[in-house]
Amino acid sequence: MITVGIDIGSITTKIALMEGKKLLYTDVSLSGYDMEKAWQAIYKKMLERTGKKESDISFLVSTGYGRNNVSISQKKITEISCHAAGAKYFFPKVKAVIDIGGQDSKFIRIDDTGSILDFVMNDKCAAGTGRFLEVMARALHVEIDDFSTLSGKSKKPVTISSMCTVFAESEVISLIAKGENRENIIAGIHDSIASRMISMMKRTGVASPVVMTGGVSKNIGMRKAIEKKIGMTLNVPEQAQVCGAIGAAILGSG
Amino acid sequence: MRLFAYYDTGHEFSEEIVMAAGFTPYKILGDVNVPNDPADRYVHNYICPFSRSCLTEGMARSDEWAGIAFCHGCDTTNNQYDIWKHHVKTDFLYWINTPAKNDATARAYHEHELRRFISHMEKHYRVDITDDKLSEAIRTSNSVKRLMQELAKLRPVKDIPNDAYHAITRKCVQMHKDDLIAALEKTLEEWKNRPAFPSDCLPVLLTGSDMTYPEGMDILEAAKLRAVRDDLSLGERYFAETISEEGDPVKALVDYHARIPMPPTKIPFEARLVYLRKCLKETNVKGIVYQILKFCEPHGLDLPYMAGELKKDGHRLIVIEREYTPTIDQQLVSRLESFREII
Ligand code: SF4
Repeated sequence: MITVGIDIGSITTKIALMEGKKLLYTDVSLSGYDMEKAWQAIYKKMLERTGKKESDISFLVSTGYGRNNVSISQKKITEISCHAAGAKYFFPKVKAVIDIGGQDSKFIRIDDTGSILDFVMNDKCAAGTGRFLEVMARALHVEIDDFSTLSGKSKKPVTISSMCTVFAESEVISLIAKGENRENIIAGIHDSIASRMISMMKRTGVASPVVMTGGVSKNIGMRKAIEKKIGMTLNVPEQAQVCGAIGAAILGSG
Repeated sequence: MRLFAYYDTGHEFSEEIVMAAGFTPYKILGDVNVPNDPADRYVHNYICPFSRSCLTEGMARSDEWAGIAFCHGCDTTNNQYDIWKHHVKTDFLYWINTPAKNDATARAYHEHELRRFISHMEKHYRVDITDDKLSEAIRTSNSVKRLMQELAKLRPVKDIPNDAYHAITRKCVQMHKDDLIAALEKTLEEWKNRPAFPSDCLPVLLTGSDMTYPEGMDILEAAKLRAVRDDLSLGERYFAETISEEGDPVKALVDYHARIPMPPTKIPFEARLVYLRKCLKETNVKGIVYQILKFCEPHGLDLPYMAGELKKDGHRLIVIEREYTPTIDQQLVSRLESFREII
């Protein structure tokens, strides 16, 4: 049975194609303004690259912020269920999932049977999300992909105390003006996101193993900041960014 | 009949006193569709947006009102009394210091405050607020509350959209009571004939900041969650109890306010749990939606304890923070859908 999962996030669109339990194809592209176009393009590319025909696909599930825009979707499932299913695919014993996405961050608790026990998400403010990192990268004139390497060079992370993205940006600009070095600021930014994540996690209780999914998991500095605060190692699947789409494809197979 | 406005973040105000004085009580609820900038000149925009909306309404509409009374509520509204004194034109602006505690001393103090309010009303409007008039107002209020209790009983069994329930709770605090009773009787007949509770909707208990505009309820509706119980001031807090029709009417009002479901501004905060637990025992809800309005202080302070206790009791609970906007926030809908999925 061939199933497809499409995860339309606020920043990126992800797709996964599975045959039974075997992951055959994944891809990531920018969501842009037109979500309809975004999924159509990534879907068409998948068909071309894999040589599959639409009629080969038994079930298609959409998830993510833009899931309702996928007109060919046979089922729409929220990101919480899909990320949990995706994390479980890579780490069957998973008990908790951290996902830091473009506009929200989530912490999901899973019980022994693999069912979702509870979840918490960030409040309305963008602080603690991928968007927060983007704003900070812009303020620091650094590519977001370099955050990881730069934070690793930090000797003394600064403390970013503002909880709001806009205020934190001006706090960062003030630190730059004061001559604070970039590495320490970036490490401080990671610490501040990690702190927000921890307070969210404490609301439901932490259990291991913890899996981190979502694009931000590629950032080793961010991962280390969270690991340091929770005192546990995070498990990060190779396909972490596509976990939601993979979970959607899995849930599509019933 | 002229409207007498009141600004009350809970259900503290004794509407019966202004009814006995010959006015229609009108609860100030702001308007989410009107920008808050008139109020923003006097209140920082980090302060609760609902309270700024009420100030905006007060500045625009006070000439339609015979007077305005404040009740001790959250700090945001308490501390706005002086701002209203300076920027809202009215001949009568009065503060009723309803107590935060609920013991014998606090109740004696409440009685004293109500009698003081009555005498100020009598002097200012040259009216007699007699015990007979108060008792009549109490009977009218009780008719409203009993009708609302009947209507509320239908929420878990009939197809009653969230905004339809919200609409009648709003009418309760803004409409002339005789017209209101007629409207509620009509609604009751209509609701009795509605189809059964829809099988694709999940019944939930709604708690947290007061929902003061129907679009807020539409977030729940979009996620196919139906609030069948609540402890909101525009909701069960207003009608869960009736007022004694025996004895001294002022004492009866004091006693009534000591029995109603408590808001987060009361001490101790465990008092709120009593009613929530009662709702959860009485009605088979599938989960609890705990929503707070951004910058709502008392609920922000209550939330960790309350949510923790309800979760310890074994209930599924989701916390959402909403902006003060008529736009249906899809991010919140999505979170509620996730909640629905895990249930
Ligand atoms: S929403 Fe909260 S802060 Fe605002 S007036 Fe009501 S109780 Fe006070």
